[in-house]
Amino acid sequence: MSEKKASSRKGPAPLRWLRRMFFGGSKELTLADERFDSPGKLAVKRFFRNPLATGAVIILAGMFLFVFIGSAIAPVNLTETGSEMLHTNMAPTRSLMKLPDGMKDGVVDISSKGTFTIGVDTDGKVSMWGQYVNISGDPARDVMNIPEEVKDSRVVHVAAGSDHCVAITEDGRVIAWGEYDNGQYGHEGSMIAAARKQPEELMDGGTIDASQVRQLICGNQVTAILMEDGTIYAWGNDGLSATNLSSVIKHGKKESPLVKLTFTNDGIYGIDENGDFVCGKSTKYNIISVPDESGRSVSTDLFEYIGNRKVVDIAASGNALALVLDDGEIVVSGMKEPQPQLPEGENALTVSGGTRHFVLTTDQGRVYAWGQNYRNQCEIPKALTEEGAVDKVYASGFQNYAFKDGKFVDCWGLKGYLMGTDDMGRDVFNRIMNGGKMTMTVGAVAVIVSTIIGILIGCISGYFGGAVDMLLMRLTEIVGAIPFLPFALCLSAIFQASDIHEDTRIVIIMLILGVLSWTGLARLVRGQILAEREKEFVTAARSMGVKEGRIAFRHILPNIVSVILVTVTLDFASCMLTESSLSYLGFGVQLPRPTWGNMLDGSRSALVIQSFWWRWVFPALFLSVVVICINIIGDTLRDVLDPKSVEKT
Amino acid sequence: MGKYILKRLGYMAIVLLILSFLMFFVYSLIPYDRAVAEAEPYRKGLKTTENAAELYQAKVEELRRELGTDQNVVVRYLGWIGLAPINGKYNGILQGNLGYSYSFDRSAREVLADPLKNTVFINIFATFLGLGITIPLGIFCAVHRGSKRDTAVQIGTIIGYSIPGFIISIVFIWIFAILLKWFPVSGMKTPGSSYTGLAELKDRLYYMALPLIVMTFSSLGGMTRYVRASMSEALSLDCIRTARAKGLVEKTVIYSHAFRNALIPIITLVIGWFIGIFSGSIVIENIFGLNGVGRIYILSLNSKDFEVVLLLQMFYVILGLLGNLIVDIAYGLADPRVRVNK
Repeated sequence: MSEKKASSRKGPAPLRWLRRMFFGGSKELTLADERFDSPGKLAVKRFFRNPLATGAVIILAGMFLFVFIGSAIAPVNLTETGSEMLHTNMAPTRSLMKLPDGMKDGVVDISSKGTFTIGVDTDGKVSMWGQYVNISGDPARDVMNIPEEVKDSRVVHVAAGSDHCVAITEDGRVIAWGEYDNGQYGHEGSMIAAARKQPEELMDGGTIDASQVRQLICGNQVTAILMEDGTIYAWGNDGLSATNLSSVIKHGKKESPLVKLTFTNDGIYGIDENGDFVCGKSTKYNIISVPDESGRSVSTDLFEYIGNRKVVDIAASGNALALVLDDGEIVVSGMKEPQPQLPEGENALTVSGGTRHFVLTTDQGRVYAWGQNYRNQCEIPKALTEEGAVDKVYASGFQNYAFKDGKFVDCWGLKGYLMGTDDMGRDVFNRIMNGGKMTMTVGAVAVIVSTIIGILIGCISGYFGGAVDMLLMRLTEIVGAIPFLPFALCLSAIFQASDIHEDTRIVIIMLILGVLSWTGLARLVRGQILAEREKEFVTAARSMGVKEGRIAFRHILPNIVSVILVTVTLDFASCMLTESSLSYLGFGVQLPRPTWGNMLDGSRSALVIQSFWWRWVFPALFLSVVVICINIIGDTLRDVLDPKSVEKT
Repeated sequence: MGKYILKRLGYMAIVLLILSFLMFFVYSLIPYDRAVAEAEPYRKGLKTTENAAELYQAKVEELRRELGTDQNVVVRYLGWIGLAPINGKYNGILQGNLGYSYSFDRSAREVLADPLKNTVFINIFATFLGLGITIPLGIFCAVHRGSKRDTAVQIGTIIGYSIPGFIISIVFIWIFAILLKWFPVSGMKTPGSSYTGLAELKDRLYYMALPLIVMTFSSLGGMTRYVRASMSEALSLDCIRTARAKGLVEKTVIYSHAFRNALIPIITLVIGWFIGIFSGSIVIENIFGLNGVGRIYILSLNSKDFEVVLLLQMFYVILGLLGNLIVDIAYGLADPRVRVNK
């Protein structure tokens, strides 16, 4: 007998459970086993003999680990960097940085503003990668559809705006595609009146001398072509995307021709032939902060700071400018993240700007990056920080592609979003992890509160009876008569109206849920206690002189723990659901703090349900799976703990 | 029996009083002054006048007196019921004044009349639809307990009652309104239509169909399980064994003997369920944009229209209490062993 028992107990417990789950237990041995087991052990055994319940436990444990470890590793970012208005409603993808193979051997230019990237290789072939959220559904507006005209020609310059692309072919045609409502093409479509039209010579299929094009760049909805002789052709929505466009062009005509141009979100800046910084009538970046001798930062005028030095390179991010001076110093305006301090003897060579960051290459072939790093834009691979590793970096949008001698070396930056983004450009995957933590925490605390109240009231009421029982049961009835969801809604609305901190409000929501949901458990405990109270062991305890309170809580309570366990499990699920419903209706945890309920908040419209399915499928799936698992566990617990059920499953 | 009902009604009235005071008290805690909101246009008109601040303050005081918000909470509560004078006259619920909706600028009674009809219509419809499905399904599962089909239904019902109503709504909108285009996504009637008679009913049902399906579906899970549980308990009774031994047809045994025994717990649940559906329809009405009390409730909460909220809150409480009473009475009627008139 003892040998047999030993043989059936090979390996640690979870392994045995797993083995039993997949291969089944030996009937004979387990029967022999059970004779020696306490009811608790027996219940555990029977529980894990149910494959459905075991699966539910494993899935639930996985979810717990995923949610709690995941949210510890990647906490939710509630500040403005957490949301990215250029990345709203993006479908799940990991291909934003997938440089096409054809471009790895030689590239002329790579350009990107937001989600899609355009590039042209040395053979004049245009490639696009990434994703464009085409809300209109109109293929004519889809910027990812490269026109046949472009595909068939040899292209020498390309540039990408936020929703359009422009290409210049070898024979001098200028072709734009993508969205056109705001005058992105400069000539056709329902462009707004304020938009700047293309110059006459480009209108209606006019061409320019492609070999004389120095630079083709795009702002959000504007485009500019800079010729070798300093002529600027520009068109698009300059009222919004380049307010100082006219004044910069005037500078080029009247004072000194420009040699380099760059767009921020709302302006155009450049360098002229004299090496002066040109900003037209925009004064947005004229004040910079530089550290003084004692290390404190003081504000200085940009032009004064540059003095007689010449500007050799300029780059813009969405709302910052970086200038490289001829003595190798970098001057940055408009960005709060500090620029890197180069080691002694190393000088900045070129700088290029992504949407929220800058990348710098030095005369020793090293790469430095600074700016927003929430989407890994500044996580330079180790190999690239070695001397002479890189001679050209294309920082475009949120990705960076490093080249050495015309060959692709490495890339870094944002690959994409595993589960897409929501309407504020927030990462759904990250919010699912953090939202799950919130939902589970609220559910757990609420259930703990309700269990404590329920057990206390049930025990006191059941054991002492009489007037106490009467009073407590009436109280239970009153609380039970309160309609749950409406009352929880109204309480939460009240605390919403009063000016308290969000954390306090969440604690209050937990308490509200707990305080409103204890009645069922209290009734159950009372009923069980009434039954247990008459049993012999209670009489025995009483005759031994054990105090009443001790009998109720120490002698009787352990006997009904199994019943409580089942209720608590099922209550946990229902508390999570209530929290989600409250948050969904906007009365629970408030946005931007995520929970699985309020992540579904915007998903009422047909557009979201159909086109942006990732915004509701993932939170709904996670919430449902967790609740289903908890309910399966609770149901199985009830079956195995029920002394009446004798069937051996 | 009559005495018992009277006693219970009396008890109900006490609970109602306690709860209504509790809620009134809770609402009085809200830092929101109706008088200030009402005086706002007056203040704007005063912009250039001299001693504007004093005039405004006087106006607020006057409005407070008129609204009764200068009194303490007990007096206001009694005034709300109609047992104490507010601003010199008795005008409360007992006098037929159910309150005033400031955001709709109509009396609460008018605001709620139509939505209440809609809500009751949806709920009764969904209850009957649900019962029509769950009872046969539950009986089937109990009779074929342990079979593959039973297990499948069991898993289905766990999934059914684990998924919250709003997720079911979204999934159903996606399937039926967007993919199959059988039903409209939301709304009450075809915009701009003025059907009458049968056409109106048809149009209304067309728009209500999807919410009704969702409500029925989301209540299937729990109810089926209850019916199954009570039915399988009933089937294990000694009387059933006797009936079978007697040679009765299995159909008679199940539908006549066992089902009657199973009915008792089902009755309790149907009532509780009906009330639960009323709460659940808050979510559904909001998703589908149905003009029901649940939607009005959320709208009023958002616009701080607390008299309407309070009234609806009392409506839900009365519904709950009445439900309890009906359960107890129905219990006595269905089960001769239970004597309710103790």
